[in-house]
Amino acid sequence: MGLREYVVRRFLQLIVTFWAFFTLLFVLFRMMPGDPTSMFILDGMTPEQREQRIAELGLDQPLYVQYVEYIRQLLTGDFGQSFIYREPVTDIILIRFMNTIVLMGTALVFAYLIGVTFGALMGWWRNSRFERGGIIVTLMARSSPEFWVGIVLLSVFVFWLGWFPSSGMRTTGGELGGGFVARYGSLDFLRHLFLPALTGAIVYLATPTLLMRSTMLDVLNADFIEIKKAEGLPERTVLYKHAARNSILPLVTVAAIATGAAMGGSVVIETVFNWPGMGREMVRAVNNNDYPVAMAAFFLMGSVVILMNFVADLAYVYLDPRVEYE
Amino acid sequence: MTLLDITNLKTYYRAEDGWVRATDDVSLSIERGETVGLVGESGSGKTTLAKSIIRLLPDNAEIVDGSVAFDGTEITELTDSELRKQLRWSEISMIPQNAMNGFDPVYTVGQQIVQVIRYHEDGTSKAEARERARSLFDELGIEPDRVDDYPHQFSGGMAQRAMIALALALSPSLVLADEPTTALDVVIQDRILETIKKMQKELNSAMIMITHDMSVVSETCDRIAVVYGGRIIEIADAETIITNPRHPYTLGLRNAFPDINDDDQELISIPGTPPELVDPGEGCRFAPRCPFAEEACWEVTPEPESYGDGHEVECHRADEVELLQTEAGKKETWLEQEIGRPDDPTADRATAEVESDD
Amino acid sequence: MSTGTTSPIDSATSTIGNGIDYVRTKLEVFEGDRLGQIGLATLFVFLVIGIFARPTTIEFLNLTIPGIAPHDPGERAVGGRLESPSAAHPLGTTDMGRDVLSQVIAGTRVTLLVGSLAAFMAVFIGTNVGLVSAYFGGWVDDVLMRITDIVYGVPFLPFAIVLVAILGNSLVNIIVAIVLILWRSTARVIRSQVLSHKQRPYVESAQAIGAGHLRIMYRHILPNVLPLTFLYAAFAVGWAVIAEASLSFLGFGDPNMLSWGEMIYNVYTANAIREAWWWVFPPGICIMLFVMSVFFIGRTLEEVVNPELRHQE
Ligand SMILES: Nc1ncnc2c1ncn2[C@@H]1O[C@H](COP(=O)(O)OP(=O)(O)OP(=O)(O)O)[C@@H](O)[C@H]1O
Ligand code: SF4
Ligand SMILES: [Mg+2]
Repeated sequence: MGLREYVVRRFLQLIVTFWAFFTLLFVLFRMMPGDPTSMFILDGMTPEQREQRIAELGLDQPLYVQYVEYIRQLLTGDFGQSFIYREPVTDIILIRFMNTIVLMGTALVFAYLIGVTFGALMGWWRNSRFERGGIIVTLMARSSPEFWVGIVLLSVFVFWLGWFPSSGMRTTGGELGGGFVARYGSLDFLRHLFLPALTGAIVYLATPTLLMRSTMLDVLNADFIEIKKAEGLPERTVLYKHAARNSILPLVTVAAIATGAAMGGSVVIETVFNWPGMGREMVRAVNNNDYPVAMAAFFLMGSVVILMNFVADLAYVYLDPRVEYE
Repeated sequence: MTLLDITNLKTYYRAEDGWVRATDDVSLSIERGETVGLVGESGSGKTTLAKSIIRLLPDNAEIVDGSVAFDGTEITELTDSELRKQLRWSEISMIPQNAMNGFDPVYTVGQQIVQVIRYHEDGTSKAEARERARSLFDELGIEPDRVDDYPHQFSGGMAQRAMIALALALSPSLVLADEPTTALDVVIQDRILETIKKMQKELNSAMIMITHDMSVVSETCDRIAVVYGGRIIEIADAETIITNPRHPYTLGLRNAFPDINDDDQELISIPGTPPELVDPGEGCRFAPRCPFAEEACWEVTPEPESYGDGHEVECHRADEVELLQTEAGKKETWLEQEIGRPDDPTADRATAEVESDD
Repeated sequence: MSTGTTSPIDSATSTIGNGIDYVRTKLEVFEGDRLGQIGLATLFVFLVIGIFARPTTIEFLNLTIPGIAPHDPGERAVGGRLESPSAAHPLGTTDMGRDVLSQVIAGTRVTLLVGSLAAFMAVFIGTNVGLVSAYFGGWVDDVLMRITDIVYGVPFLPFAIVLVAILGNSLVNIIVAIVLILWRSTARVIRSQVLSHKQRPYVESAQAIGAGHLRIMYRHILPNVLPLTFLYAAFAVGWAVIAEASLSFLGFGDPNMLSWGEMIYNVYTANAIREAWWWVFPPGICIMLFVMSVFFIGRTLEEVVNPELRHQE
């Protein structure tokens, strides 16, 4: 199979995966307890108004009509109105989605930068104290749920040392307003970002570190490493350009899985640090039966994961000349 | 002129139960342009000896004693960076057994050749280095455009040629070829060997050719050193080793390989297994398997004895050459149960299992 | 399908037998592995605490074993509100005056329950999916692997939150949510392992003598991939416990089964996170220690089972 065919085939798979994911969402959210009008009844809605509302939402239609309508709406990016905020879901969710991406993106980038370097060195200095200590520290980080790491950091840096703000994204002003630069471009923002991002970095560091270490150990046993040393190339070149470069391949695949973990993890981290992102919003929405918001959040998180899996597969092909496209 | 002079070299590996004496008191010198073969069973220490020369040893290895002088420079005393810059690849390069694994899979072969050229030669441009890689390919019988191919795109034989191109890219004075053709099929083997010889002649490089295969060394080497249990037990010019060896082990090795000129020859293998290299103790290391072992063989380690023209043998009975050669040609000799120390019940008796020696 | 003389149950029994033999021989690997030993010891301590957390009556022996927990974890006002640690309450009390130590001890049981049940089911499903997928190949493989891919596209926590919101927040539903996601990695790894075994001579010879599919799959191939299953089970225990803790922390835990994660959720809702360190740290440290112990064990197994294989998730 040629490269082009592979990409096309992988793309078709992507579409099937998305379709399956859409359907899963549809099924899950139609099963939600309490119908979406129950919130309005509290507001003193008359039965007639309620009927009308249900008709507005299309809930009186047969299920397949609802399904088709649902797919159409998703594809046009229309998630309906929030039951709580009474605003279009898109308006509510997009800005929070950005906040989440900024937070978790930062966390992942740091997790990978540190993890890859740390893991490569652990492999290079195998059987050293550095390696043994590194493994213990890494496993400790990996054994801690996000909220636990967050709480420890909060206790130390906020409650005890008082170095960082405890929650939110900005000290003053609305958390959601302003342009991109106004929102993310200040020192104040960075101070707020530090602890939650660090939390994510610590938790997601373990996988790349351990994987990098073990692939390094394999790669270092390969004949070509010996040849590169025999070539007289400096240790740095052998370590980074050859050993680490080869070891990084499996990490590409895992990066996609890590994104999945991070998307889920954002729910927890944002709750701990009160970060105005999509994860926290989702918890709030589920607790308040605000289905449109919950569904949009879930939809976006899943889409990011599915897309990342796709990108990772393509990146792998690009990075490893040996891949056979099957 | 002597290019490489190894004297009393001892390279040991640290293991759980003591030191593995993989190279134990070895002396060997090599002239410019000369090809020396190292033959011996698996585990006899051939690779260790070769790698000691460029100090390309694993972490648990140590050169405990002896000297390796290359062109007057004492290698054991160089710092790592001197070693890298002055000797590795520019003076001494190597060809591994499996070329496919010798290249980094994620770069093209050309990129790897260019990298090593440019690292060792300041001021060579990428284009020049690439041009050199292409012309090397041409000389070695590979389409020059294939420098842009990745290692996995080469066949086994082609990859081995590409590896030779890499090894010769800096015209080194010495090439360490560790079983360069074992992984290939017979027809290709011969062609690769011819190519290596041709290029070596052109560049006047010396070579150490490691192999299990007597026929390979006899065709390609000027001199042959037979390695057993971490020691060179016999060394002479190729002709002498093939036609007139004196050491019982060499005689046994010779029996185990088909002679192209003699169709009726019966293949006989040496019974028993290679010696334990951890604390081997005194005495001849071949004694447990040697049909000619005497009392003295078990007690005293034989010293190298010279028989003219650089023919040196480590055997107490090397003087009885006619007896040894006649008896060693007989199958019964190697089946005999007398092998093993007669008066020592604890000694491992070599089994007469007929197994090839690798 | 010609299963020959052996019923699937027989194969299952012999498979389990093989597994136990395997574990017995492989326990030796813990010798000389410090981390693995620490893991085993820690896990053992948690097991004992979990089993004897509350008073247990064995009826036919007419015997009551006293529980380790000094108080009923749910009982209010056994002490004052938010008392810091003292001799009477070594880990202090909650905002309702409940005994923290007793809660931590009782939480061990929930953790053990979730960890073992979820891991067992996830690995059971994953192993079977991987085995069937690789063995039959073709469209079966295609379908099963697409499903696996899709599950890889579902982020765990959001999914679990929605599912628990739909089905109700009981421990069973939490375990179901965990299992529905957790089987995926086992399935992938077992599949690739089985693919390589399928080519081996022993499978061909089994086919040659006319062994049926079930027999070949469960009698011949499964025992060879079982070590990997055990390894994944160890990791799955860790992930399941983390997952349950996170869900409970978010407030989706089972209100009738107080777990460590839920304790921390309670600290949050009581607004006591700043002051009541004695209430926050014990459950958090327990989660970390417990998961670490199974990861240490998993690591030891990993080095033996297959050094080439790396755990990914
Ligand atoms: N890293 C090591 N640690 C301990 N012992 C080693 C190590 N490498 C090699 N040895 C031992 O040293 C001895 C010599 O090994 P060496 O690889 O030099 O043999 P060889 O003649 O090249 O064998 P082969 O023909 O199989 O390549 C063997 O007994 C081997 O087991
Ligand atoms: S010294 Fe003795 S044992 Fe050793 S090879 Fe010669 S005859 Fe055989
Ligand atoms: Mg060798």
